[in-house]
Amino acid sequence: MNVGIVGVGFMGTTHASSWADTPATIIGFAAETAAEAGALAKHHAANVYPSLEEMLPDVDVVDICSPTHLHYEMALKAAAAGKHIVCEKPLARTTRQAQEILSACRKAGVQLLVGHVVRFFPEYALARAAVAEGQIGKPGVIRLQRGSYRPKKPVGNWFLDEVKSGGILMDLMIHDYDYARWVAGEVESVSARRVTEVHLDAPVDYGLVILSHRSGALSHIAGSWAYPPPTFRTHLEIAGDHGLIEFDSDDTAPIQNLIRKTAGSDTPDVGLPSSPVSESPYTTQIKEFYGALTEGKTARVSATDGLAAVQIAEAALESAHTGQPVKLQPLAEAR
Amino acid sequence: MIRIGILSFAHHHGEAYIANLRRMEGVELIGVADDDPMRGQTIAAQNQAQYFHTYDDLLAAKPDGVIICTENNRHRPLVEMAAARGIHILCEKPIATTLEEARAIVDACEKAGVLLMTAFPMRFSAPLLEIKARLDHGDFGELYCFNATNQGELPTKHRAWFVDPELAGGGAIMDHTVHLVDVMRWFTGSEVKTMYARSNRIFHADEVKVETGALEMLTFENDTFATIDASWSRPQYWPTWGGLTFEMVTQRGAILVDAFRQNLNVYRHEWQRSQWAYWGSDMNHAMLNDFAAAIRENRPPRVTGLDGLRAVEAALAAYESDRTGQTVQVKRT
Repeated sequence: MNVGIVGVGFMGTTHASSWADTPATIIGFAAETAAEAGALAKHHAANVYPSLEEMLPDVDVVDICSPTHLHYEMALKAAAAGKHIVCEKPLARTTRQAQEILSACRKAGVQLLVGHVVRFFPEYALARAAVAEGQIGKPGVIRLQRGSYRPKKPVGNWFLDEVKSGGILMDLMIHDYDYARWVAGEVESVSARRVTEVHLDAPVDYGLVILSHRSGALSHIAGSWAYPPPTFRTHLEIAGDHGLIEFDSDDTAPIQNLIRKTAGSDTPDVGLPSSPVSESPYTTQIKEFYGALTEGKTARVSATDGLAAVQIAEAALESAHTGQPVKLQPLAEAR
Repeated sequence: MIRIGILSFAHHHGEAYIANLRRMEGVELIGVADDDPMRGQTIAAQNQAQYFHTYDDLLAAKPDGVIICTENNRHRPLVEMAAARGIHILCEKPIATTLEEARAIVDACEKAGVLLMTAFPMRFSAPLLEIKARLDHGDFGELYCFNATNQGELPTKHRAWFVDPELAGGGAIMDHTVHLVDVMRWFTGSEVKTMYARSNRIFHADEVKVETGALEMLTFENDTFATIDASWSRPQYWPTWGGLTFEMVTQRGAILVDAFRQNLNVYRHEWQRSQWAYWGSDMNHAMLNDFAAAIRENRPPRVTGLDGLRAVEAALAAYESDRTGQTVQVKRT
């Protein structure tokens, strides 16, 4: 199986390492400028393609790790060429685009696997499994939090461009919308606020979202780009009618780093949870996607999940703008 | 000497207040009264306090101030009786369960010229006072939002009426919204403008008729916004009763506050689980001290009846939003 990766930023690099742990072959990388892709391609003994179009004939699978606003166009091209797709989250910038991608993939008979990697983090997977087994009864109130600093980029910081990334309510918090939905089922309404909606020039951002699930459960999602680098914290709490599950990345870290910084030390490109487990959750994810692509196994995250998460994120953006909750239309694709 | 009486032990805080008053200099507990004579006499006897057979009897003994610890919806008659005699009042929270009653309570005290304090002990929490001082000093820059929780266990182990829709005025929303609304009003110096709330009854669904889970999203006049988790979501075997936490996001980052996290973790064979032993400063003590000092110095207490009214308005708006499914404007009386 030949994989071509579009985008050579943090996610492209991470996915490449994960693909390297599968029997798949990384054929090459496509990036805006060939120079960017060179080092990564060399590391993986792969080619550099000047564009997705030129890479398509050589691959079975396209792994889209480009900025969010480019997913739509690239996914449609890959589907039209009959290639399976692995796409970083968010699947697309808008619900309509995501729907079109699903429809194109269905028509082309290709698989669409969305990188909602939080489902593959062992702490999140274990908590969800415990709920699914009925260990804590019916979930009542779920609290999910993810916090870091504003994403940094050497050039062209698309994360901070609302039109391209959807900002904090979409780019960061979509992880937890997806997780909440995985744990407590379909979402009926979304209410959201965020700092940069009110303070346009704020040097930080922070989002707060309340989800009402069809089951009656409520989810509280908080996302922060307000902390000092290199902070990255996550928190989850699932309170059920027969128990409660709690996780805090700060409380459970087995290693505390109290090594003094040397002068001129820098922080990484994007905040990343340092989870010293034997296999990176990204690799667990890519391996599962590989199994889905080669053996027809069902991955724990479906194309519909990717679409539904975009729908929630889009509703959050709208709600933060209007101040009113947004009711979600049931997705035809979810039937 | 400031002479204080306690009216009713319907609210379990009344018992704790006896111990607080006993430890205060320049304050005398003249006695207690309760319309549940059994409860009142038992608590009076346990604490060697004088028991008055009626509220009138206690008020006739001319205390300087009374602490009203009835059920939430029974504050008003006692407030009016005390105010009519010129006696200052510390009233348990929420001060009432309807806007009309809350307004009547504030007006009665204003008209009689007596002090009315709402029992919002968080205003006297040492960690919160520290943060508020730094905020006012400008150390954090502009305040943007709060992500707050006031979660607890089902409060029925203290008193059954806490889950009675009539006596308590509701469930988790009424019980837990007011504390954080008051903290946020205090921190921002601004009034709640809009409220969105969703509730459910998944925890203890078979035991109670009121909401046990609730999430709220509110905005303030000055554009600060916040969420409050008011849920009774802590299991009965949680290491403590619950807690009050908030993340405060500002121009310069964020401050995480866990107000009751000054504790020992105690593990005992007898419990087969750990429990928290709180060693932080006693905020109830500081609150009662301020009540006595306000009477002595003839000045308003640090948290007033109007603060209590504003918090009730926000809680009632949460119920309205939960009914309508919309973000609602908070009605101010």
